[in-house]
Amino acid sequence: MLAAFRTDWAKQWRRPLTFIGLGLLVLIPIIFVVATKANPPGRPEEFRDAGDAFNFYGTKTGLFLGVSALANTSRFLLVIVLAIFAGTAVASEANWGNLRALLVRPIPRGRLLTAKLTTATLLGVIAAALVVLTGTIGGILAFGWHPLTDGSIHQSAPNIVGNLALGTLYVFWSLSPVIAIGFMVSTLTDSASGAVFAAFGFYVVSTILDAITQLPSWFRVALPTHYLDAWQKLFPSGRHNGSGPTADMLRGTLLPIAYVLVFLGFAWWWFRRKDILS
Amino acid sequence: MSGVPGDGETGVAAGPAIELQGLTKRFGSSVLAVDHLDLRVEHGQVWGLLGPNGAGKTTSLRMLLGLVRPTSGSATLLGTPVRPGAPILERVGAMIEHSSFVPFLTGMKNLELYWESRGGHLQDSNVEEALAIAGLGAAVNRKVKTYSQGMAQRLGVARALLGRPDVLILDEPTTGLDPGEMREIRDLLQRLPTQGVTVLLSSHLLAEIEQVCSHALVMDKGRCLRAGTVAELTQAGASAYLEVDDTERARQVLSARAGVTGVTTENSGLAVSLDGASRAEVVRELVRAGVRVETVTSRWRLEEAFLGLLEEEER
Repeated sequence: MLAAFRTDWAKQWRRPLTFIGLGLLVLIPIIFVVATKANPPGRPEEFRDAGDAFNFYGTKTGLFLGVSALANTSRFLLVIVLAIFAGTAVASEANWGNLRALLVRPIPRGRLLTAKLTTATLLGVIAAALVVLTGTIGGILAFGWHPLTDGSIHQSAPNIVGNLALGTLYVFWSLSPVIAIGFMVSTLTDSASGAVFAAFGFYVVSTILDAITQLPSWFRVALPTHYLDAWQKLFPSGRHNGSGPTADMLRGTLLPIAYVLVFLGFAWWWFRRKDILS
Repeated sequence: MSGVPGDGETGVAAGPAIELQGLTKRFGSSVLAVDHLDLRVEHGQVWGLLGPNGAGKTTSLRMLLGLVRPTSGSATLLGTPVRPGAPILERVGAMIEHSSFVPFLTGMKNLELYWESRGGHLQDSNVEEALAIAGLGAAVNRKVKTYSQGMAQRLGVARALLGRPDVLILDEPTTGLDPGEMREIRDLLQRLPTQGVTVLLSSHLLAEIEQVCSHALVMDKGRCLRAGTVAELTQAGASAYLEVDDTERARQVLSARAGVTGVTTENSGLAVSLDGASRAEVVRELVRAGVRVETVTSRWRLEEAFLGLLEEEER
């Protein structure tokens, strides 16, 4: 298992697409930090949303630019990058014609899938961590390491860092259904772009359905993106002062389990019996 | 991958190197890709799977390697039933269809990641010998995306030879190679049996099968049309190419002779289809008729052979 993972990791780590994806996740927070430093937002009478508050608090403590970076990317760019890592995991090998060469080695297919999923997951964790680290380090350089104090609102620097780490893990886990469906489709097709599109499309459809408030609530709360922003309540955002993990975070932590089990279960079942024709 | 085939040390049962029994593959309800294929390849033999595109050669090889699940029947390698990822594949080198690699890695890195995906080190895989055969030189350190098809094919042969396999399975190994490279690969395939390696290769090139293989199985539409030694198969569908001093006279003589089923002009000579007459008898007949025979070569057109075998099958 370790050898299969090591060789797959070495392959993915040299892949131009990996660098492009991770590079974007570093570049965007840097642009954000530079823009915020050059043109700091003033305090509005009322924050429009949590992101608005995080942007403003970022000028009070650089740590909040890490929070802002996570909030700004978790709804789009990070999702795309995770979809790329998962969707290309198996399909790219098939597309290159290299999958059949791998599978004539005496390596059980399940082991190969485990190695590939581990690689995609690890790259996903690195992607999420890069966003937050870049935003936080850039924020500290630009606005310093301070606790957040704004009127009655106070959050210590260690508290912000701890919540940010928790929030990053939560966002990654909340997006795990995107990884799981991307990986599953990747075992079904030789088209890596098709698998990436399927994963991102799944996310977009879930987000759109969640925004239709006329739909029954039992349906909306079962959508994988419903609790995606629940981590933001770890931080003050004008409407509340920030708290520890909420009940929504707990629900948002449990919900992906079902999606991950179903999608990955199907991927394993299918790939182990699949005829390799590519 | 070392070890005497069938010895006790490797835990492999004695028996043929490759055995297919009633191997059948159906895709969906309408496509019968391989239809009850039987084949027994003894150790050290070189067998060719011969057939036109779509005959079922590649599907058969994929089933033999555990890439495709048979609908029915069985495939064994070195006495062990094949299943996906089976340990016995450690003793098999394979190249299926055109050689494909990770394009943004060098040839050497591709070999390394391929070999080490199951553990071990590339240095222990006989890589230098394999690379010498592939003859890529310094190009092995270039990214594969810069390779020509022929270079990728040669790297594919090197990959198949890593670890000195006991069984080598090659699907159209000379596709994309220039004549010199083809000759090198064919020379290699002729040398391998002397080292105890069993070879099964597919090709639609009759000349390749004739030069390299001791035995051949002719298939079409998934079925085995005929199997045996190359000499037996050649006799079954013989033809000849003749260059004579008087083609018109030769055509008249041959057209009237029993055992000759067709005479056509080809380049500066005559292509003669034989059914019952030998090439020697044809030449004697022409000489008796006063025609000087300047060239006579063995010919067996793939298309003619297949048509003949198919017609025979239908009868």
